[in-house]
Amino acid sequence: MSLAVENVTKIFAGPRRGFLGPRDNFMALDNVSLAIRKGGSFGLVGESGSGKTTLTRCILRLETIDSGRILFDGADVHQLKPAELRRLRSRLQIVFQDPYASLDPRMTIHDIVAEPLVIHNDSVKMSASERTDRVAELLLQVGLRTEHLFRYPHEFSGGQRQRIGIARALAVNPEFLILDEPTSALDVSVQADVLNLLHRLQQQLGLTYLFISHDLGVIRYICDEVAVIYRGRLVEQGEVGDIFDNPQSDYTRMLLDAMPDPDPDRSPFRRSA
Amino acid sequence: MPLLEIRDLNLAMKSYEGETHILHGINLTIERGEIWGMVGETGSGKSLTGLSVSRLIPTPPGRYLAGSIRFDGHDVLTASDAEMRALRGRHIGMIFQDPTTNLNPVFRVGTQLLDVAMHAGHADPSVLGVAAGASSRVFKRAAREKAVEMLDKVGIPNAAARIDDYPHQFSGGMRQRVLIAMAMIGKPDLLIADEPTTALDVSVQAQILRLIHDLVAERNIGVLLITHNLGVVAQICTHVAVMYRGRILESGPVRDVLKHPSHVYTKALLNSVPTAHSKRGELRGLGGILPESFA
Repeated sequence: MSLAVENVTKIFAGPRRGFLGPRDNFMALDNVSLAIRKGGSFGLVGESGSGKTTLTRCILRLETIDSGRILFDGADVHQLKPAELRRLRSRLQIVFQDPYASLDPRMTIHDIVAEPLVIHNDSVKMSASERTDRVAELLLQVGLRTEHLFRYPHEFSGGQRQRIGIARALAVNPEFLILDEPTSALDVSVQADVLNLLHRLQQQLGLTYLFISHDLGVIRYICDEVAVIYRGRLVEQGEVGDIFDNPQSDYTRMLLDAMPDPDPDRSPFRRSA
Repeated sequence: MPLLEIRDLNLAMKSYEGETHILHGINLTIERGEIWGMVGETGSGKSLTGLSVSRLIPTPPGRYLAGSIRFDGHDVLTASDAEMRALRGRHIGMIFQDPTTNLNPVFRVGTQLLDVAMHAGHADPSVLGVAAGASSRVFKRAAREKAVEMLDKVGIPNAAARIDDYPHQFSGGMRQRVLIAMAMIGKPDLLIADEPTTALDVSVQAQILRLIHDLVAERNIGVLLITHNLGVVAQICTHVAVMYRGRILESGPVRDVLKHPSHVYTKALLNSVPTAHSKRGELRGLGGILPESFA
C-alpha cells in the first residue's frame, strides 16, 4: 500500500480577537507533500508543535484537511464513504506514543488486542474462539507469552505495554503502520528491543511504516527515507544517508548538531582535559 | 572536604507487600566544579538518591537502614527540619523533570520566583544584596530585582515584562528555564537536576545543557545530573555513575567509563543507543531482564 500526501494544508481556527473581530488562524500544515513507497520505512522528524502528529491525524482522517489530497493506492482518503473508510482503516493502523495512556486500564490484554477484530468483523469474520487464537498468536509474535492473555495493563512494564500496542495494531493484518513516537516513553535498553521487534515484523509481514520521532538516532536506525518538518512545513526530505550526512537546510543541520552524541570526545562543551 | 559525600546509603521503602530494600550501599563523592551524571534505567534508584540528598523522601514510608550523607559539613540524614529548610533552596538547588507540573498554574511566574528569593534572602540577606535589618519593602524590591536578573540570565527575553506572566504563557523550554532560575536564585553550592531535559526538544535541550555548563564554570558549583540519556552525560558531565537496581555498578571520570566501560552492564547500555554507525537489527537491548547476580 503506498501513500501519497499532496499539498496538504491544515488550518486550526484561533480565538476571535474581540467579539466579532478576525480570528488568528494557525497553519498547522502548510502545503505538505510526501510519498511513501510500499514496504519502506519513512521517518518524519520534527520538534514539538511542528505538525507531526497533526499530519498523522489527517492521514487517518481523524482531522479534516483544508486543501490538498491524501491518497492510499490512488483512493482519496478524505472523499471516502463511511463504509469504505472503515475498510481502509483495517489496512492502516497506528501505534501511539504513550503506552501508559493508550491502553484501557479496565480491559484485559485479550480484549484490548481483540477489539480491532471485533470492530472490523465484517471484513475479518472471526468467531470468538478464533479471535482468542489470533490474539494468542499476536502476543507470541511481539514477544509476549500466552499466559499474559487475561492480565490487565498495569501488570506490564512500559516496553511490554508498547508491545501490546503493537500487537493491537497488527491484529487486523494491516499493510501500513503509523508509529507515533513509539519509543519516546521507554528506556534506551528497552527502546532497542522494541526497534528490533519493529524491524523484524516489517521483514516478516512486509509492512510499510510511517515512523514519527523527534529522535534522529532512532530515525536513522529504522528508516530508509526521512522528511524533516518545521512549523508545518517540510524543510527537507530524502534518503536517510543523504539527509544525515549531507543536510541541505540550516534547520536540519541545527537538529543534527543538537543531538547529544554518546561519545564524550565529540561534545561541544568538553574542556580540554 | 568534598561538597557532597554519600557513604554506604541504604534505603528501604514500605508498601502493602512489606518493606523493599531499594538502595544498596550507594557511595558517591562530589567536589565543586564537577558535574556528576547518574544514569540508569527506570526504577534503578537514580531519583531516590537525588531526593535523599535534600532529604525529600518522607520517612515513613522510606527508612534509611545505614549510611550517611554529608553536605558541606552538615549531616543531612540527622539534621533538624529547620536546618534542612535552610539548606534547601539556599545551598542545595533542585530542578525536576517535568516543567509543566512543577510550576503552580494559578500563580504568576514572578510570584513563585519571589517566594524562593525571599526564602533564600531570609536565610542570608547577602543573596539579595541587602543589609540584614532592611525593611520589608526594600527586601521585597531587592527580591524582585533578583528574580528579574535570574530570568534574564537563563535567557528569557524581556524578563522584566515576562515575570508577570503565568506559567501557561511560557513554552516548555522557557518553563524549564524558570525552574533553573528558581533553583539558582539562592546561589546554591550543589545543583541536583533530575532529568532536566527529558521533556524538551533536542534544540532546547542543547540550550539548557549549555546553561548548566556555564553556571558550573562561572560559580564553581557541584552538579548531580540524573538522566537516562547517555548522550547528555557524554556531553556535559565530568564524571558518571551507572546505577542498576539500587547499586552503583561503575563510576568515574566520564571518558574512562563511557570509552572503556569495565562493567558488562555499562557496555550493554552503551550498545543499546542507536548511533550513526549502527546497522538495522544490530542494536542490543537488555530486555529489562537481567539476572540478580549481575549487580
